[in-house]
Amino acid sequence: MTALIALEGVSKSFGSVRATDQFSMELEDGEALGVIGPNGAGKSTMFNIITGAVRPNAGRVLFAGRDITRAPAHERCRMGIGRSYQIPHPFANMTVFENLLVGAAFGGNRSEAACYEDCHEILGRTGLLEKANALAGALTLLERKRLEMARALATRPRVLLLDEIAGGLTEHECVALVETIKTIHRTGVSIVWIEHVVHALLSVVSRLIVINFGQKLAEGDPHQVMASAEVQEVYMGISAE
Amino acid sequence: MSEGAATYRVARGTRASRYGALVAIAGLAVLISLPFWGGRADMRTIVEIAYYLALAQLWNLLAGYAGLVSVGQQAFLGLGGYALFVFAMNAGVHPIAAIPLAGIAAALFAVPTAFIVFRLRGAYFAIGTWVVAEVYMLSFAQVSALGGGSGMSLPAAVVKGIAAGRMWRETAIYWTGIAIAVGAIALVYLLLRSRHGLALTAIRDSEEASSSLGVDNFRTKIWVYIVAAFGTGMVGALVFLTKLRISPEAGFNVVDWTANVIFIVVIGGIGTIEGPIVGVIVFFVLRELLADFGSWYLIVLGGIAVLMMLRAPQGVWGLIAERFDIRFFPVQRRLVFDPASFRFVADDREEDKRDR
Repeated sequence: MTALIALEGVSKSFGSVRATDQFSMELEDGEALGVIGPNGAGKSTMFNIITGAVRPNAGRVLFAGRDITRAPAHERCRMGIGRSYQIPHPFANMTVFENLLVGAAFGGNRSEAACYEDCHEILGRTGLLEKANALAGALTLLERKRLEMARALATRPRVLLLDEIAGGLTEHECVALVETIKTIHRTGVSIVWIEHVVHALLSVVSRLIVINFGQKLAEGDPHQVMASAEVQEVYMGISAE
Repeated sequence: MSEGAATYRVARGTRASRYGALVAIAGLAVLISLPFWGGRADMRTIVEIAYYLALAQLWNLLAGYAGLVSVGQQAFLGLGGYALFVFAMNAGVHPIAAIPLAGIAAALFAVPTAFIVFRLRGAYFAIGTWVVAEVYMLSFAQVSALGGGSGMSLPAAVVKGIAAGRMWRETAIYWTGIAIAVGAIALVYLLLRSRHGLALTAIRDSEEASSSLGVDNFRTKIWVYIVAAFGTGMVGALVFLTKLRISPEAGFNVVDWTANVIFIVVIGGIGTIEGPIVGVIVFFVLRELLADFGSWYLIVLGGIAVLMMLRAPQGVWGLIAERFDIRFFPVQRRLVFDPASFRFVADDREEDKRDR
């Protein structure tokens, strides 16, 4: 079976900094994959390369077997790649409902009226229904993070890229978020989730990749990966000795 | 959250928009009847207000929504003006009918122009559009068939061909002016209410997010640029039909056709439909008040613009809308949750009534 997303030897430098260095990975259709690594390890750059916000200097990006290395971001979204930003980018002067409509109408390639039902349903599922008519610029940080996910869902993605969506949440909110993500995953959407809140991550994903200095440090069963000495040292700052 | 059998619909109108529409229709009726009771000077001033209003709406569409801060819209105004002269004088087209043709001509020029200026971004785009407009001006000054640097006048025979009698000629031009201003507002309003309006407002707020949600930013912007050129070209034809004379200097004038228009949009409130309307009123009132002060006029205008940008970048309309929460041109989509009985209340202004 072809992987849904495949990165082949991808590199990206910003000036003298190698944010991504000869990086390869695969995501199977229907899989939930977790990504961890220290700050500045190149996790968000990897997302930007997958979504087309950043073009790699070398390597290939494939989606469902098709080379999309040169495809623009909006086309990749229409193919089924949805993403939420680590730092929310709301359409501040549009309402929450309209924010979803943008994704639904353009990412989902539908007429506007055909999106209302979906958007209404997603607002309910992500707990934003009460805020439907609020301007997105007036939302709290947590609501903005939910909006990021809701908007990406509205594009009817085959894979959802979540970038540190649980950071700053209370324990209770975090549990609710994990449930939401599990539900999305059950409906057949593949997940790639970058997260520092490891316990939340581990309750969803079935495979874990650890990135350090733009390279893959470890990969495999989440609990085994977390237990490995290498990861403990680099990621948790615990000495291997 | 479970809302089971809850019903909802998507509302587009506001109370202000309903009353506003009534007032606008009444106002428009008064304006249309003006040639039968008003003075000729009034008609001329209103035509001038009308074409500045149209230019302001179009520039606002470009800069306020698509983020295309063009300082070169005079390129399309001059092209439209010249196109009118060519169609009316050389092809024998009726001058009023030549106005939309001039718009099409300007739009055709916009396509290759776009391929040059769209390589540039932000401030470079602004400078680039200005440079291109200057190139158009210098090029037209070289064409002796179009009167070269000194320009040309519309022959009396062509002018007489508009309509029989001076009163009907002036009335025809006046009504055309009103139609172009109303047309520009309607164009922007309907565009923003459509699916494309979602893309435009999204691009205005965050280009990075809009592309990651499937909006083709580049294509949307190109279309906006071409549509704005079409409208600006039509205005150019109208302007020089009232002036009866065109020269490269007058046609491609950056102060008249871009600086003044930017002033209007910035003062009124960028990124709203009401803003340019408020701005054009402020602009003409200031012009009346400062008419006797010579070049102080432009200095005061510039000073006010700078002050507004620093103190109230949302413009006069932005301040009003914030304070009183009113919108006369509602382009928002609001989700309204209906109690069951509410479904029987007919309101044909609320589109897309849907039940779950």
